[in-house]
Amino acid sequence: MSSSSIANETTCAFTDSRPWTIRRVLTNQYFLYTVSLCFFFFGWDYLASHQAQDATTSIARPYEVLLAIQDLWDNELADYKLLGHVWMSTQRVVIGFVIAAVLAVPIGLFMALNRYVNAIVKPLFDLLKPMPPISWVSIAILWFGIEETSKVFIIIIGTFVPCLLNAYNGVRLVEPELYDVIRVLGGNRRDEILHVCFPASFPSIFAGLQISLNSAWTCVLAAELVCSRSGLGYIIVQGMNLADPAMVMSGMAIIAVLACGTSLLVTALERVLCPWKRKIAGL
Amino acid sequence: MATPTNPAIKIACDHVSKTFIQKGKQEVPVLEDVSVDVRENEFLVILGPGQCGKSTLLRIIAGLETPSEGTVTLNGKAVTGPGPDRGLVFQGYMLFPWKTVLGNVEMGPRLRGIGPEERRATAQKYIELVGLKGFENHYPHQLSGGMKQRVGIARVYANSPEVMLLDEPFGQLDAQTRIFMEQETSRIWQAERRTVLFVTNNIDEALYLGDRIVTMEGKLPGHVSKVYDVTLPRPREFTDMDFLNLRQEIIDASQLTL
Repeated sequence: MSSSSIANETTCAFTDSRPWTIRRVLTNQYFLYTVSLCFFFFGWDYLASHQAQDATTSIARPYEVLLAIQDLWDNELADYKLLGHVWMSTQRVVIGFVIAAVLAVPIGLFMALNRYVNAIVKPLFDLLKPMPPISWVSIAILWFGIEETSKVFIIIIGTFVPCLLNAYNGVRLVEPELYDVIRVLGGNRRDEILHVCFPASFPSIFAGLQISLNSAWTCVLAAELVCSRSGLGYIIVQGMNLADPAMVMSGMAIIAVLACGTSLLVTALERVLCPWKRKIAGL
Repeated sequence: MATPTNPAIKIACDHVSKTFIQKGKQEVPVLEDVSVDVRENEFLVILGPGQCGKSTLLRIIAGLETPSEGTVTLNGKAVTGPGPDRGLVFQGYMLFPWKTVLGNVEMGPRLRGIGPEERRATAQKYIELVGLKGFENHYPHQLSGGMKQRVGIARVYANSPEVMLLDEPFGQLDAQTRIFMEQETSRIWQAERRTVLFVTNNIDEALYLGDRIVTMEGKLPGHVSKVYDVTLPRPREFTDMDFLNLRQEIIDASQLTL
């Protein structure tokens, strides 16, 4: 029997009305998701609870992490409860991300559409592109102090590059014959840009936004680790200072949840703005 | 003035030549001294094997390329660039993937500033004409090749061009769909007559559809070989005696298997 084509696995799922046998349950993908997650948590718990006693306790058990989260929820840590810290971090990420996206996407589109803008901006961009945003932390503190501005600045630096790059590539990779189509239908250059460039580059722009969002969370963490009195990075640093692994891991877990949530929001926005994209099963 | 013995010429190509420059210096002559006239409301077919420059000729008439020598005129005025007066149906469909069938067909009227209700009605009329009623809200990736090409044809029709140019539109379809599309094209053209310039490499297609057939030679640079008048009544039969005789005549004259 030949193996199933990859095409079958990526096109839309069908509703399966076969009878439920043991075999079908065992091979069902949600069952396997659950099994995989259970193994992960049990493994974690086992590892955490069977460490050598003289080694510094650096892994907390899952239950301890939950307790730490509850503790942060009820009690204040440096003037904020858990929700307050979450709000501080999220606020920084959202402000930085929005500013960077609003700047980067138009610049990227403009660069791709206008040779002169490209000639001026691209070399500067290529010079600054490879620098990791974290290397900007010290200089950001020197310039802006330890208040909010420096943190938002780092996030903007980190978010800017993938957004611009993807907007730029999105326009460059448009099928050139589609511009011929617009011309033949009676359009001019403005119509080419409005009716072909923009819609064609949306999927690429959204891919860039997803990558930038990931980068934004990394940058906020880095900024907060260095100089902050609030936020999830601060929770992690405090956990480290107090040698409390549960606190550290609780910070990590919450960042993961928040990053996942914001990513889902961007995906939902993409579903609304790009209804023509094929739906891939399981994605 | 058009009279039965002197039909109005819609498009005139006068000694058109085209040479492409590749890799900076290598010259590739693609067309040499091509003169073709397209009459009003006639279905002219340009027949030739691959690589004989017929697609280039079509693109020059559409205004997407400029001839190295010679002129192309539409209604007496020179052609300077692409425009809605010459609609082009592309070989690779070239539908906008982010628009539905309705959105694609509406695009021409929309670019010309026609209001939403009116352009929707026009688009709907042509979607029904090509036989795609019920598929208005489908996206191109949900359509088969034949359906996509029909959207391409409807898109050009909806823009009310003076001339329709079709660049091997059925080349990417299987044989069954191709014959079906030829029948549909004949039906659509008879329902709403336009001036059509159709490029193909398939002799049966040429004989089925055309009022006149212009054959082009195979070797680069391409030039016009002969012009045939096809006066068979429509709808034509592929196995009709006159059809087959004319087919044989064309094959003998062209020295190539078509």
